[in-house]
Amino acid sequence: MRVPYENRFTEIEPLLAHVEKPSRYLDHEWGTLSHEDAAYRACLIYPDTYEVGLPNQGIAILYAALNRTPGISCERGYLPWIDMADAMRAAGVPLLSLEGAAPVASFDIVGFHIPHEMAVTNFVEALDLAGIPLFAEDRGEDDPIVIAGGPSVYNPEPYCAFFDALLIGEGEESIVEVCERHRALRDAGASRAETLRALADVPGTYVPSLYEVRYDEPCTRWGYTVPREGADVPPVVYKRVARDFGATDPLAQSIVPYTELVHDRLSVEVLRGCARGCRFCQAGITYRPVRERSADQIVSSVVQGLARTGYDEVSLTSLSTTDHSCVKEVLTRLNRRLEGTGTKVSVPSQRLDSFGVEMALAVAGEKKGGLTFAPEAGSQRLRDIINKNVTEEDLERAVRAAFEAGWRRCKLYFMMGLPGETDEDIVAIANLADRVLDIAREVVPKGQRGGIGVSISVAVFIPKAWTPFQWCAQLDDEEVRRRQQLLLHSVRSKAVRVHYHDAATSLIEAVLSRGGRALAPVIVGAWRRGQRFDAWTEQFDIARWEEAAREAGIDLHEAAHEAFDLAARLPWEHTSPGVSRGFLEREWRRSLAGVTTEDCTRGSCTGCGVCPTLGAENQLVGERA
Amino acid sequence: MTETEPTLFRLRVRYQKAGRLIYLGHLEVARTVERSIRRAGLPFAVTQGFSPHMRIAFSAALPVGTGSNDEWYDVILTSYVPAPEALARLTASTPHDLAPLAAGYRDMHDETLGLLITRQDYLIRLAGCDPVALTGALDALVAQGEIPYRRGKKHKALDLAATLAAYQVDADGDGCALTLYTRSSNAGSLRPEILLAAVDGHLAGAPDTPVTSGALDTRVLAVRSVTRIAQYGVTEEGARVDPLAQDGAQGHPFF
Repeated sequence: MRVPYENRFTEIEPLLAHVEKPSRYLDHEWGTLSHEDAAYRACLIYPDTYEVGLPNQGIAILYAALNRTPGISCERGYLPWIDMADAMRAAGVPLLSLEGAAPVASFDIVGFHIPHEMAVTNFVEALDLAGIPLFAEDRGEDDPIVIAGGPSVYNPEPYCAFFDALLIGEGEESIVEVCERHRALRDAGASRAETLRALADVPGTYVPSLYEVRYDEPCTRWGYTVPREGADVPPVVYKRVARDFGATDPLAQSIVPYTELVHDRLSVEVLRGCARGCRFCQAGITYRPVRERSADQIVSSVVQGLARTGYDEVSLTSLSTTDHSCVKEVLTRLNRRLEGTGTKVSVPSQRLDSFGVEMALAVAGEKKGGLTFAPEAGSQRLRDIINKNVTEEDLERAVRAAFEAGWRRCKLYFMMGLPGETDEDIVAIANLADRVLDIAREVVPKGQRGGIGVSISVAVFIPKAWTPFQWCAQLDDEEVRRRQQLLLHSVRSKAVRVHYHDAATSLIEAVLSRGGRALAPVIVGAWRRGQRFDAWTEQFDIARWEEAAREAGIDLHEAAHEAFDLAARLPWEHTSPGVSRGFLEREWRRSLAGVTTEDCTRGSCTGCGVCPTLGAENQLVGERA
Repeated sequence: MTETEPTLFRLRVRYQKAGRLIYLGHLEVARTVERSIRRAGLPFAVTQGFSPHMRIAFSAALPVGTGSNDEWYDVILTSYVPAPEALARLTASTPHDLAPLAAGYRDMHDETLGLLITRQDYLIRLAGCDPVALTGALDALVAQGEIPYRRGKKHKALDLAATLAAYQVDADGDGCALTLYTRSSNAGSLRPEILLAAVDGHLAGAPDTPVTSGALDTRVLAVRSVTRIAQYGVTEEGARVDPLAQDGAQGHPFF
């Protein structure tokens, strides 16, 4: 029998006085949308703590979409922090939803968000706490259907064994279709196997158990995935896309939390997609085509959203907000409307030119903290390889404009281990940082120079599926450490602070990014050894991963540091964002030749294949600056 | 106040902290109240300066896990909204467990909540507890004058002589209802959990057990609830002063 749906808050209440931040587990926030009585129940889970998960816009969109569907009630779940998870296990309380405080295992469908690769052990932890069998193949007729989706779904193979189905792409339409179909099947008395087979017919739905891994054609060590013999399912599942983005609800966010969040503000998604074409960037491919909301829609949503939530800050979110063709008009109008209300407007990620600084200035007000730029590579040669279409002059102009406008701190993001990178490129990062400091000292008046701060943050490049760099190896750890030392010794000024990422976390991320189904035992093995919350530096322990990998006969270093053959079938090609393989191969060859490719929202079509494959197109509301 | 400054109004609101929301911390309550005021669309004043924020002040922080039906805030408004209307709008825009109970205006020059309130009364409900034993433990502690305790690594002392004005023990079903009448000043206030931890040590026959602030782990006492039931000031003549006299609009308490 299915676990009964009932409120079990009284069982966790005695634990609250003994855990960190009890407000994570309270519910009763302003703006929840679930219904007490419903014929069909869904629970959407973010695989991290409440304060990390609540701001997620993807979940907010799906939560609103499901709760406005007649007969469906959708609740939320988060992963209890380790103190609470341990206390719940000791007290024999399973993972509960927030709104109804009901066991997650009592829902008809449980949906996990996949924010990034490092969430994998948290899926296992959540399923275990919920009392749901970890592997889809072990679930019975009474267990909920467990689905997943999100930004990191484009190589689902390493963790697909935990899920009954994965929703590829934008979920606002498909999750409603999946739930409605499931409800009809359930009411008709369909078996679990019949249900999963039928869900595979909803476009964008990948049911891993109906596919198998083969090795009989040129492929990588992980094999390639095709429909099982006799299973009538599509060989490639294409992502879903909101073709008319302007017609979707711009104000999905409704819940106002008590506890302080990572992003504690109203968010309005002003555009979706980015076509700048940076060759390392997965989101730049998987969110295409580019679709903008109109200035009127943005301004009215912001005003309405602030009144509805009571927030004193609004963020205009997207992959590249300052690329919106009406961003200047939007900011001018918002500044006028919000004057005197103590409301702050923020724009994530600065564009690396003087227009970007102008826009940053438009929202900065009196208080100017730091500005962040992402040149990604130190030399022009390497920036051409990665197609970061930014010149040294753009960067200098942007930095000069920023210091002239009153900013005193500047942070620069780079990557290390990019294809074609040499020692000169590392030294160029140091030189660029020194140059920025020189500009600051030249521009900032003498008395204020003490406040100048320049810092650089250098991540390890991780090749991702569905990018022109998907065939590349990750740089091995020892070489990463050597280049980090080279960088440290190349920065002349002591005033430049250098931060770099831990090579161990990057190793696991790299393995998961391009690995296959054979990694499931490694994930479970790492979790059994105590691994959870891998994205929290202090919780991450590479030794547990290495032990689990050894047990499964997999060498993590070998897996991460292996280049794939251009002719090989790749582990993820059956779940596609719509980009053509030919385009990715062409971009790879152009990168080797140092040839750049333009942004199709500012020039002509570059032939990535997304629009014709998905039957969608760029939707711009004006000329882009 | 200079001639050029616009007319401002000080709206004083009494609210509760109840139900699950007793587990909120002070900053979480403050943030929620501010957002409720914004949602209510009240014409709140904003501070000048680098990071403008709402002009609002709260009565003293309540610990996580402690409820109240007598919490207060003052919010400065730039135009007058009749108190009953302000209360109705706030009620509609505030989570039920933090519901506003009363609202009224005070002169801009009146004492702030922080200066006015010097007395806090608490009602503590204890399960399975003998009133005579409880009274005995409290008397012993009062005779001792202070309770040494540790907060993190710091050693401190709760001055009972200064902060505990009186207490009363009543039978409450199978347990006790303990009412504490406390005094607060710049020198300190009485945190009920510290007193309860010390009482617990006495009842367990180990009065020298070190007391720490933070989560209350009792051996004998079973605390059902801790609720702040009143906050007020006292005149030099000893008369009680309520933060809002009878002229304010009254809402409905939920417990």
